Amino acid sequence: MKGTHLGEFEELVLLTVGILSDDAYGLGITDELEKQTGRNVTISAVHKSLVRLEEKGYLKSHMGGATESRGGRAKKLYVLTGSGQAALKHTKELRNNMWQQIPNVVWDKGTL
Amino acid sequence: MKQNQPPQWIIHFFTWICKEELLDAVLGDLLELYERRVKHVGQHRANWLFLWNVLCFLQPFAMKKLEGQTHLNNYGMFKNHIKTSFRSIRKNAWFSGINIVGLAISMSVGLLMIIFLSELYSFDQFHEHKDHLYRVTTKVEGSRGFKVGTSSYYIGQQLQEGVAGVEKVLVLRNDLTADLKIDEHAIAVKGYYATASFFEVFSFELLKGNPASALSNPGSIVLTQSTANKLFGEENPLGKTMTVEGNQDFQTGIITGVIADPPVNSHIDFDVLAAMKTVENSPVPRRRGFKNDPEDCWSSYVYLVLSERADFANIEAAMEGFMETFNARWDDTNFTHSLQPLSTFVTDPSYRNLPGPTFAQSKIYIMAGLTLVVLLSACFNYTNLSFARALRRFKEIGVRKVNGAGRFQIFSQFITEAVIMSLIALIIGFLLFILIKPRFLELGNPTTSSHPMFSLDITGPALLYFIAFALIIGVAAGLLPALLLSKLKANALFGEVSRVKVFTGMSLRKVLSVFQFTLAIGLIMFAVVVHKQYQYVMDYDLGFETENIIQMEVDEQYLDLLTNEFDKLPEVMETSRSSGLIGLTGRGGFAIALDRSDTITFMLNNIDGNYLPMHGLEIIAGSGFTTSLKEGQGLNYVVVDEQFLKALNLGSPEESIGRQVWHQRDEDVKMRIIGVVKDFVKVPLNQMNSEPMVFMQKARSKYYRSKKWFLNVKIQGVEVLATINKLADIYEKIDPLHPFQAKFYDDQLAQNYSQYRATYEITSFLALLAISISSFGLLGMAVFNTESRMKEISIRKVLGAGIGNLSTLLSKGFIGLMLFSGLVAIPLTYYLVITYVLNEFAYRTNIGPVEIMSGLIMVLLIGLLTIGWHIRLAIIQNPADILRKE
Repeated sequence: MKGTHLGEFEELVLLTVGILSDDAYGLGITDELEKQTGRNVTISAVHKSLVRLEEKGYLKSHMGGATESRGGRAKKLYVLTGSGQAALKHTKELRNNMWQQIPNVVWDKGTL
Repeated sequence: MKQNQPPQWIIHFFTWICKEELLDAVLGDLLELYERRVKHVGQHRANWLFLWNVLCFLQPFAMKKLEGQTHLNNYGMFKNHIKTSFRSIRKNAWFSGINIVGLAISMSVGLLMIIFLSELYSFDQFHEHKDHLYRVTTKVEGSRGFKVGTSSYYIGQQLQEGVAGVEKVLVLRNDLTADLKIDEHAIAVKGYYATASFFEVFSFELLKGNPASALSNPGSIVLTQSTANKLFGEENPLGKTMTVEGNQDFQTGIITGVIADPPVNSHIDFDVLAAMKTVENSPVPRRRGFKNDPEDCWSSYVYLVLSERADFANIEAAMEGFMETFNARWDDTNFTHSLQPLSTFVTDPSYRNLPGPTFAQSKIYIMAGLTLVVLLSACFNYTNLSFARALRRFKEIGVRKVNGAGRFQIFSQFITEAVIMSLIALIIGFLLFILIKPRFLELGNPTTSSHPMFSLDITGPALLYFIAFALIIGVAAGLLPALLLSKLKANALFGEVSRVKVFTGMSLRKVLSVFQFTLAIGLIMFAVVVHKQYQYVMDYDLGFETENIIQMEVDEQYLDLLTNEFDKLPEVMETSRSSGLIGLTGRGGFAIALDRSDTITFMLNNIDGNYLPMHGLEIIAGSGFTTSLKEGQGLNYVVVDEQFLKALNLGSPEESIGRQVWHQRDEDVKMRIIGVVKDFVKVPLNQMNSEPMVFMQKARSKYYRSKKWFLNVKIQGVEVLATINKLADIYEKIDPLHPFQAKFYDDQLAQNYSQYRATYEITSFLALLAISISSFGLLGMAVFNTESRMKEISIRKVLGAGIGNLSTLLSKGFIGLMLFSGLVAIPLTYYLVITYVLNEFAYRTNIGPVEIMSGLIMVLLIGLLTIGWHIRLAIIQNPADILRKE
């Protein structure tokens, strides 16, 4: 297993896999990410993250059935593993924790 | 379903590079995306986006691993070869350096040649009908036959009216010059009158206007983009009316089109086109007659588009038929028309009267041949040096073999090394190419015209050619050593070095060296002789004075005014006017003996009274012209040269004064000889046929149709530049429209021989390359020779051999080779230079022993210096150091 650090984009991909639950494959994830973030997401970047996340053990994959519309190619469907879920939870807690430590006076000042 | 598929090759490519386990998933995604895109943005754009997506996957995470047995079989070995190649290149830096530099300099010429040839063969390739486009040329047979690229409107029209195989006919007339004016803008332009089929036959892009009608009506003008910009700036010129000055055919024109500027690789160039109907409707009666005159074949180009299965013989026979009645009128003159294919428009210089510059096919062969020879020579060098170096690498090869390397592995190792060197050489060669390019560009453009033939710009495809070229050179250079070294038996490699079979290759290497020396000696000798001939021609006494004479072309209307103003300057000594320039340009005419027994052609120059004395032409009988001559008085007086008298058997100069001959015109005119000048050189010295000369008075210029005259100004030879500036100031005040283009007579004459100058510059350059390459090769041989004989030398030294003995021992073989090469090179070059250069000149320099020996002596000198330097190293070495190792 490689390092367990979760990059920002990897985190988003991981979350999207969670959202899509039973139909998380490359293009589906790309679409969903674009919809959620409004960013322009390239499909190669998504696949790259998926490969890496699988190597890290946060995701596991299995081949779906072949469909006619994809030139007869099967989808590779991803689901979160236990450690994947743990990693997401860990990040969320870390963030929440840090949020709470920001003193209120910072918010009161408003934005500069 | 099929049309919703991206190009198969991209899919294949992706299948090839992508990891097995990811392939289905990724490709599936991409195809799904593709289908979606086809619906939204169309197939074309979707294809591009698909390719882009695939390229995005060229990342390590998705690509097959290159290493290992399973995927790319030889990768590991190849990688090792590259590594060892770099090591050995670095380890033998000195050898590699010589090799790379040698390859690089020869490659720079190769690169030049690649670009040059690809530009030359790109000429006119942009025409849609390029494979079926022909020009009708004219051959005039007779006592002094010649070929011209022009033909007659008449023949074009006849062909149009139904000859099988002729699809489209275009006629261009090259006598369109005019000053176009709109408001206060005015420019002088040159171009062609064209028939309406211009845009059907040629594929020049019409940017504005209607191609079908742009050249249909009299007075229609099509401007090139740059001309339009000069006159109108950003404004749309379409439909604008212009004032046309300095043209006898029309006074106002209307802009009916804007055409893209003709590209550099077009055989014709122009600023404007005007409808042919303009000439047909010319107010000048004699301009209108051209359509039905088969003899009007000096200013019209006839272009044909032929059909797929056109029968040449048939068309040419038809043309002969059209000319039959016309030709029957003459006794000894016969006009024949033939077809010239587009592919030879710029490579066949045998025609006069061509619209643009040419570069002779024969010259291309010579240049390509020499380049190839220089390249081969550099490859041989590599071979030579590789053998020399192989001495040190026997152990390496032996170890490889013992460890199980097959013949192919050793072979490919040496090839890899050669290719790497040649790629490094390519980089250096490329830089050299950039350095020599501007110099070559000056030489390569065979004309003085403003429309250059070559740009030598480096394009994308050219870069690919370069790399392919470097690969080929690498393989060619490495082939021989790779073959021979890979053949060696492992056990032989560990034995005594000198017993190894490879040294039987010695005789082969001698042949290679002889080849290189021969080349160097020959090229040096060639360059020396051509240079001597060039100097000879430049210093030749032409029989008239040219020093400090400046010439400019002047519009008739400004001639008097300019002459008056110029004469006021103290720096101006004399001025004179003429219609031609002897030794440069002129017109021809026919003269007939008074009893009509004989006809000759002559050169004609209309001059004023100052012309003869100003140019120092010696009058040996009679007199020249007087300065002021009233119109109509003695207009048929002529001054001729001695050659004219001989040609028509008019007797001695004194006898011939007062005699008359016919001057053939529409209606023959009698000319009375009033003076005879001493013979002088009136054509460039490389032209064999000089014709008799006739000077006519300027006032008798009834048949001189141009409105341009030459104003010849003799100035004092001090502060020349300041004087020219003064002349230019005056000129620009009087005629602001036409640019001031003054040229020195001497410079103009030198232009006649610029091709010889180019020849000797190119051959000297190649000689330099050849000599440096061959001395590199020599160095390699010397190193090899002395190193393999180190023990012998040491023993000889111990036994008391002196420096003299050893030097002779080590160098006599090489001197023998060089002398032998000289034996081959000198007679061969002598023959070549006589046949291809000197025979072109009517006046030749003589080749003396200095020129004959020049190449050999040069090569001997440089060769001995090179090997001497290395032999010295061997001689000063302490013999004990070498013998101790035993």
